[in-house]
Amino acid sequence: MTTGVLSLDKRVPRIASTVAEPVLVRLALILVSLTFLGLFLFVPLAAILFEALKHGLGAYLVSFQEPDAIAAIELTLLATAIALPLNVVFGLSAAWAIAKFEFWGKQVLITLIDLPFSVSPVVAGLIYVLLFGLQGALGPWLAAHDIKIIFAVPGIVLATIFVTFPFVARELIPHMQAQGKDEEEAALVLGATGWQTFWRVTLPSIKWSLLYGVILCNARAMGEFGAVSVVSGHIRGETNTMPLHVEILYNEYNYVAAFAVASLLALLSLVTLAAKSLVEWTSSVEQKENRP
Amino acid sequence: MSIEVRNITKTFRTFTALQEINLYVKTGELIALLGPSGCGKTTLLRILAGLEGPTTGSILLNDQEVTDRHIGERGVGFVFQHYALFRHMTVFENIAFGLRVRPRATRPPDATIDAKVRELLKLVQLEWLGDRYPRQLSGGQRQRVALARALAVEPTVLLLDEPFGALDAKVRKELRRWLRRLHTDLHVTSVFVTHDQDEALEVADRVVVMNKGRIEQIGTPEEVYEHPATPFVYDFLGGVNLFHGRVHEGRVQVGDLDLALREQGDIPDGPAIGYVRPHEIDLHRHPGEEGAIEALVGRIQPVGAVARLEMVRTDNGELIEGEVSQEQWRELALSTGERVYVRPKSLRVFPEPVE
Repeated sequence: MTTGVLSLDKRVPRIASTVAEPVLVRLALILVSLTFLGLFLFVPLAAILFEALKHGLGAYLVSFQEPDAIAAIELTLLATAIALPLNVVFGLSAAWAIAKFEFWGKQVLITLIDLPFSVSPVVAGLIYVLLFGLQGALGPWLAAHDIKIIFAVPGIVLATIFVTFPFVARELIPHMQAQGKDEEEAALVLGATGWQTFWRVTLPSIKWSLLYGVILCNARAMGEFGAVSVVSGHIRGETNTMPLHVEILYNEYNYVAAFAVASLLALLSLVTLAAKSLVEWTSSVEQKENRP
Repeated sequence: MSIEVRNITKTFRTFTALQEINLYVKTGELIALLGPSGCGKTTLLRILAGLEGPTTGSILLNDQEVTDRHIGERGVGFVFQHYALFRHMTVFENIAFGLRVRPRATRPPDATIDAKVRELLKLVQLEWLGDRYPRQLSGGQRQRVALARALAVEPTVLLLDEPFGALDAKVRKELRRWLRRLHTDLHVTSVFVTHDQDEALEVADRVVVMNKGRIEQIGTPEEVYEHPATPFVYDFLGGVNLFHGRVHEGRVQVGDLDLALREQGDIPDGPAIGYVRPHEIDLHRHPGEEGAIEALVGRIQPVGAVARLEMVRTDNGELIEGEVSQEQWRELALSTGERVYVRPKSLRVFPEPVE
């Protein structure tokens, strides 16, 4: 605390009095931001933990031993484990194509990548129902071949992929565009193959952006509710992900269990936040050093 | 290794970057591709390296067709304008890269790579910087690392894109001399691109002057400077004065001046442009018998070995630049606003281009 106060004291005289806001205004601004954060972030988070632990740690832990809860956690992990690598592959390919080549339809591709951001997740889910559902375009054919997509695991995976696919690409494109292709060309002239160029030159220079995209993508994949809800069918122990399971438990007035699973999701978001800050901090340190 | 460029044409959509380029570079030569920006010189260099493909035409290295050969198999070293060093690798690893990516069968053992990199670091005089990162180096040092990295794979041809373009004047001059020495020692066939005529004239064995996707002239620095083949070359290589006049029966008239066209007797009668460099004009205080161009002395810069002065023609107000030795300058003892008579020692005449 002392150091914080000291550094603040040092900084104050440096702000020219002609441009600095009066102390009162500054205090008011800080107070408003903190109150807002407290009311809308910390109180709910604390409430989740409080509710989850209301009947003691024992009751809290029992919630995770329930087969349906375990199935929900497993399904969430499975959907994420499939969506994440696909997202990395897609993100890298799209970013590479957009940043390093000129091709017809490039602008269309850039616009399409943003589509999941602009479309409501519920609509995204409905698209899959319309495509693969029993009454959908491919429904009869799928039924004839005994393939279940909607109200089954494949539907959940598809919906998760759909809502998460912009994350990695969005992070990589600006970075790769800024870097240009000089270093790759240099590697090729020196006799490196395409793979060697990718592993030794391209990947190391984009690793932070890639990791950042992966973290965001991971958070969204685990927390997605809308699109997954539409295609899931809410079959307990089969097609419920963690967010869906929380909703069901809550609707059944099973508050301890609901908040226990919710606390796990909240924990995940805190971990993501920490990881994200760490990545941002590390890469900004590296960038600072990059400036001559 | 010799380089031969045969009928290379390169078009980007509707833009023609290169038009029927033919060029032969002898083994061990140091060639400059000189021209204004957008003249196609960098495109030609990239085609030689294999970074671009020509639209038509072919490239031969040592009389072997390599137009379709993959970039990594051509054995060329390329130094990029902005160095393109691998920013996440140390200087040492940057230089070692070309050796480390070789297929297992031809990859030298680590100890050999180590020795080779140290030798190159010594060659570019950066022995103590091996474990630094590119971001920690100055522009001149980066340039030398880029060169060492290109040389590590023992290229048979070295290509350099504006090698000194991004450096400040003093470092540029030093590196220029250093590159020339290096070339004398290594004797690897080299082609470099530049827009700086001093650089081209000082460093290269032969200069290729390019303009608008075509070669204007190929020759030794002396040839292109003293005997420019086209008005463009005259204009691009150093300061020049332009006189509009008329050719009539083997003589050229510019204002009151009337000169015989000596070796240029074949220029047809009609409007013509005469070119003369600032140091190729004589200044007199009197018109003399052969006639001269009358002008008024403007700005004078009597600094260094020569005195530079600007003169304004009294007949049409055009500017003439002159350079005379300090000795002559003292004899003339001119000052701003005085009348002076200008006579070119030699005037290079081209027919006026028909618009």
